[in-house]
Amino acid sequence: MRKASTDVLPAEGGLGDEPLLAVENLHVEFATRAGVVRAVNGVSYSLGPGETLAVLGESGSGKSVTAQAIMGILDMPPARIPKGEIRFRGTDLLKLSDEARTQVRGQRIAMVFQDALSSLNPVFTVGWQISEMFRVHRGMSKRDAYNKAVELMDKVRIPAARQRVNDYPHQFSGGMRQRIMIAMSIALDPEVLIADEPTTALDVTVQAQIMELLAELQRESNMGMILITHDLGVVADVADKIAVMYGGRIVENASVHDIYKTPAHPYTKGLLESIPRVDLKGQELYAIKGLPPNLLDMPTGCAFHPRCPYRQDNCVTDNPPLYEISGTRSSACHYWREVLDGDQG
Amino acid sequence: MGRYVIRRLIQAIPVLLGATLFIFVIVFALPGDPIAALAGEKRQDPNIVLILRDQYHLNDPVLVQYGYYISNIFLHGDFGRTFAGVPITQLMAGKFQVTLNLALVALIMEAIIGVLLGLWAALRRGQAIDTMILAATLLLISVPPLVTGFVLQLWLGVWLKQTVGTEIFPIAGINGGLRSYLLPGFVLAGTSIAYLTRLTRTSLVETLRSDYIRTAIAKGLSRRRVIGRHGLRNALIPLVTYLGADLGTLMGGAVITETIFNIPGIGLQIYQGVYLREQPIVVGIVTILVLVYIVANLVVDLLYAVLDPRIRYE
Repeated sequence: MRKASTDVLPAEGGLGDEPLLAVENLHVEFATRAGVVRAVNGVSYSLGPGETLAVLGESGSGKSVTAQAIMGILDMPPARIPKGEIRFRGTDLLKLSDEARTQVRGQRIAMVFQDALSSLNPVFTVGWQISEMFRVHRGMSKRDAYNKAVELMDKVRIPAARQRVNDYPHQFSGGMRQRIMIAMSIALDPEVLIADEPTTALDVTVQAQIMELLAELQRESNMGMILITHDLGVVADVADKIAVMYGGRIVENASVHDIYKTPAHPYTKGLLESIPRVDLKGQELYAIKGLPPNLLDMPTGCAFHPRCPYRQDNCVTDNPPLYEISGTRSSACHYWREVLDGDQG
Repeated sequence: MGRYVIRRLIQAIPVLLGATLFIFVIVFALPGDPIAALAGEKRQDPNIVLILRDQYHLNDPVLVQYGYYISNIFLHGDFGRTFAGVPITQLMAGKFQVTLNLALVALIMEAIIGVLLGLWAALRRGQAIDTMILAATLLLISVPPLVTGFVLQLWLGVWLKQTVGTEIFPIAGINGGLRSYLLPGFVLAGTSIAYLTRLTRTSLVETLRSDYIRTAIAKGLSRRRVIGRHGLRNALIPLVTYLGADLGTLMGGAVITETIFNIPGIGLQIYQGVYLREQPIVVGIVTILVLVYIVANLVVDLLYAVLDPRIRYE
């Protein structure tokens, strides 16, 4: 049972043609002393139930800002959303009242953050922090809520959950802390889970376990998941589709299979080639030349042109649209054909 | 937790010894002979001088004198005598209580006004009220208590009494009960209020920027709960440290305030002690103030462990 005030949102059930979550031409900018930083410039993506969308990009590409806009946790001001829609089950979240927005947040769209140590409150026990979800949003008694917290800790496979429920975040290892963060985020069975670099702060071995856990939880509950990462290796196993972001916009949409085999944007291609490979041991590793764009002073035309090996004259003046390659693929490059063919202009 | 308490208690011992030794040596190094000062301009009988010097161990090396002094304090609770023969403890009885009352009134004012103003400024950061509060604290910090003291005596003591007809804030002595402590308490707390306001503001602003606050918002909690539960609990930690340590500062700072408001506490006593070169009074009172500092800091450290679970296990 949901609280009455969430009724502004469509109830659960059939979705019809509408995706579970659709971001449409989203723009986010920040007012800073140096000027307006356009962090997100017309991002669109959609997510269905049970689907995993990986959003890939380097720091400053706008991937996290987009996620924070969906959650409604941007600091406004300095942030501003001048254009765009974020439709959840057909309702534009940006048009909701603050109160209605709060009802969606955490309960229907939840988020896992990167660094679980700083993202968990140091002065409360993990049991208190997980059970808070049930106490505040479900009006449960303290005892029932704690039992639910233990259940959740079991579910994310924290050993001896009942003994550890009264421990503080700093008493757990990095991987265990991230599990607690995940337990807290899935507490109220959200329909969408946003994981913002959930494994970046962790050891490689632990990374795999956390990704596995996320994938498993998703299968069980059929929630849609947005996985934000800069690590191509992390997404291969779990994602259904990938959106690559650069300079605040999506430069390539593709399925996981396609993107690894035949990238259609020079940036994606550069990313793939800069992954170390065993069979190329001893050879110099490829690196994308240059620096990420300065969001205060974006290059003219295509934002990637200063670093692009495929650059032609029109790239400097014309910003490429997202060219549709097939039903599920698109690339924001005038020369996507050449990139696909591997023919370096 | 138990081990933490014991460790902190043991750590307090060298601090106490070091601080008292420091004061003792400084007062020892002051020019002038206390026995000679006793008689003023009169000539003294050399034999009596010898006996007195022996009685006060003045012929021994400074470290031995310190040894006598500190062992008398801890073994017999004896802080020594004035040169006129009155035990320091007897001299201080009652006066210590008066100063403690004054300092506590000031501390409570500081805590309430400072924290509330700081929270208000933090929650309205960058707005007019924030700027006004910051300007007010700057004023409080810049104006010495000597000035605030006399101005408040005049405005709230004299003028208000003339306007209303009855005395609301007594301007001297402690015969008016709690009311007598209000004006001097505020004057004593003045700069501390200003510093605590700024500290509270910074601490809360800083806390509200942290990742776990973002998590709390993402959990769908109300703004009230995010700030009140998740923010405040963390922002309070540095404030407790400041407040605890400030109790000692307030008691020490009471010298000026007690002189302005003619309050018979240890501040006034220390003032007279210095004036009359009564070294045992000065060393005795300062030693007690050091003890207050140490105890207050110990309490702060223990409170810290209660407020911040990360401390307990380190």
